[in-house]
Amino acid sequence: MPTSILICDDSSMARKQIARALDPAWGVEVMFAKDGAEGLSMLRKARPALMLLDLTMPVMDGFDVLKAMAAEGLDIPVVVISGDIQPDARRRVKALGALEFIKNRSTASF
Amino acid sequence: MLGRLNIAGLAGDGGEQWPEQDVSVNAFDCYRELANVAMGQAADLLARLLDVFVVLPVPNVNLFDPGELSMALSAATRSGSGAAVCQGYMSPGIAGEALLIFNDTSIPNLARLMKYRGELDESAKSELLLDTGNILIGACLKGIADQLDTRFSQGHPTVLGQHRDIDALVENSKARGSRTLAIEICYTIEDYDISCDLLLLFTEDSMTSLNEKMAPLINA
Repeated sequence: MPTSILICDDSSMARKQIARALDPAWGVEVMFAKDGAEGLSMLRKARPALMLLDLTMPVMDGFDVLKAMAAEGLDIPVVVISGDIQPDARRRVKALGALEFIKNRSTASF
Repeated sequence: MLGRLNIAGLAGDGGEQWPEQDVSVNAFDCYRELANVAMGQAADLLARLLDVFVVLPVPNVNLFDPGELSMALSAATRSGSGAAVCQGYMSPGIAGEALLIFNDTSIPNLARLMKYRGELDESAKSELLLDTGNILIGACLKGIADQLDTRFSQGHPTVLGQHRDIDALVENSKARGSRTLAIEICYTIEDYDISCDLLLLFTEDSMTSLNEKMAPLINA
């Protein structure tokens, strides 16, 4: 079974860019979710090896996804990729259990 | 604020819709992502400067017909509902106006946050609005310009109603019968009960340049 990665971001552009940043040679299976609630239900069902998570999203934001994962004991590593580059945003997601925070500084730099 | 009006059916939803697939990208989504990164940079600046946490929303993107824009703006800036600062900007092929709207209850809290002492009279209020407007509008525009690899020349910020009237803002687009691209970001400052609406209004003509500059991002 190939390693699967879930990309959870409300922007189709960001989903595409993040997916492109993953080397096809790795042979990972990529799944997409358009908001936090969808991401969370896919985590439960598909149990991916890793989730790449956005913060500002409709329905359920990234902070709430991390809180829900902790509450449910969903132990899946999460790397947050967000334009919310406030120092406190990084601190908060790390405190909520995110493995790492990647600044989505510029769409051009991807 | 426009987002709320939107629900009331004043504005169309995005104007043009492309079929949404998992990895398809449309221009509106691209504008939203542009705003997303820019607002994050502006929030970061504000957070570091004032030692606060800014709660960021999902930006709204709309294409307004001339009548819709003027109705939405006059509703959003009607006397009693708050105060607004506006600032024009342009770069080759792109022209627009930024509008920062505060509700009335936010203003005393903003004064507290900015450590204003003394009575909050009209002139102190203007200064407060202009200072905040400068930071937020400037940082957001810079974030957008950086991504598009361009630079905006900015006009002087003015307080609406005091220096300029809202109708004067929309008159031009009304006269030409052209539409307006509106990017709306509702910032909230945590623990201070401050919320404001930042509207970046682009002329319809600007969309050609915007789309050209974004093409490498869309087609990447």
